[in-house]
Amino acid sequence: MKRLALIAALLALPLPAQAHKVIAAVFPSGSSIEGEIGFSNGDMAVGEEVIVTAPDGTELGRTVTDADGFFVFTPEKPVEHRFRADLGAGHVAEATLPAEEVAAILGKPVIEAAPPAVATDASEPVAVAGLTAEERDFIAETVRDEIRPLRREIAAYKEKNDFQTILGGLGYILGLFGLAFYIAARRKMAA
Amino acid sequence: MHIVDGALSNPVVIGGAVLAAGGIAYGLRSLTMERIPAAGVLSASFFVASLVHVPIGPSSVHLIMNGLAGLVLGWAAFPALFVGLLLQAVFFGFGGLTVLGVNTLNIALPAVLAGLLFGRLISRGTPLTGAVWGAVGGTFSIAATTGLVALSLALSGDAFIPAAKLVFIAHIPVMIIEGLLTGFAVLLARKVKPDLFHALQRSAA
Repeated sequence: MKRLALIAALLALPLPAQAHKVIAAVFPSGSSIEGEIGFSNGDMAVGEEVIVTAPDGTELGRTVTDADGFFVFTPEKPVEHRFRADLGAGHVAEATLPAEEVAAILGKPVIEAAPPAVATDASEPVAVAGLTAEERDFIAETVRDEIRPLRREIAAYKEKNDFQTILGGLGYILGLFGLAFYIAARRKMAA
Repeated sequence: MHIVDGALSNPVVIGGAVLAAGGIAYGLRSLTMERIPAAGVLSASFFVASLVHVPIGPSSVHLIMNGLAGLVLGWAAFPALFVGLLLQAVFFGFGGLTVLGVNTLNIALPAVLAGLLFGRLISRGTPLTGAVWGAVGGTFSIAATTGLVALSLALSGDAFIPAAKLVFIAHIPVMIIEGLLTGFAVLLARKVKPDLFHALQRSAA
C-alpha cells in the first residue's frame, strides 16, 4: 500500500524536481562590489535589503537588490565584507568578499590607477594598450554584462537536481533501512 | 520548509538538535521489524516529495508528506523523516547540516502528533471515514509544521505573527494537496490492506 501511496504521490506531481536553494554571490566590480541573490530555480530576489557587516559585526551599510536580484555596494574600509539578506521564511542569503579583494577595490590597483588622460597629457605614462580609464571601465562593464547570464546559468546548473542523484538518495534510504532490518533481524534471532 | 544554515540563532539550533535527537532515539525504539519496511518507504516518499517544487505565486512550495508518515509510523516517523532530511541536506544542500535538528523537529513532531491524534480514528469506521480523518491528519501536520517553522524563526528574533502568516499562507495549497493525498492513501490502505493500521498501531503501543 505504501508503495502505491508513493506511486500515487509521484503521479500526482507532474513537475520535474527542482531545487529551491538560496544562491548569493559577490564580486568586485570596478570601484564597488556587485552581488546577486536569487534562488537556484532561477528566480531572483527582488527588492531585498542586504545588510553589509564587517567581520566584527559592525554594520558597514545597506543596499537593496534590483529587479534582477543584483545589488551594488561601494566599500569604504578595506575589511572583509559580509553580505546578508533575509529573504523570509527561513531563507537567508549570505556571501563574503575577502579583505584583500576589498582592499584591491579601494586601493585602486595599478591598472585602475593608470592616468586616464592619454590624449590630454602626453607626458604621463601611456595606459595599457592605449585605453583610457573610461574605456577600460566601459569594457569591464560590458564584459560583466555579457557574462552575467552565463554566471547565472552556471549557478543554476550547479544546483540542478539530477534524476540520478535522486535515485542515489533512494538507494541510500533503501540501504539504510535494509541495514536497520538486518540489525533488527539479528537481534530477534539472538533473542 | 527547510530552514537554511544561518537563519536561526544558536540556542534554537542546539535546542532543536537535542529535542530531535530525543525524538529519533524514542522513534528508533518503536521501530519494530514490522515497521522497518514501512519506515523505509515513507522515508523515500518524503525524500522525493520534498524535492518536487511547485511554483505558487512568487514563491515555490513542495510537498512534505509528513502527515502520512506520522499516521503510519507514529514515533518511528522521527528516524524516517530524519533520514530523508539528512540525505536532502547532503545531496542537494536543502536546509543544512547545522539546522538538521530543527528541521527534523519541525517536520517530525507534527507527524507524530497527527499519528497520536488521528491514528485511531483512521483505523475505525468505514474506509471513507478513515480517509476523511487521514485527510484531516495530512492537513493538520502541514499546518503544525508551518507553526513550528514560524516559532523557530520567532525564537531567533523574527516577529512570530508575520513569519507565521507568510509560511502558513504559502502552504495552504500544500495543505489541500497533502490532505487529499493522505486521504486517498488511507482509503487505499483501508480497502486493500485493512489490517495495516491496526497491525502497525498494535506494534506501536
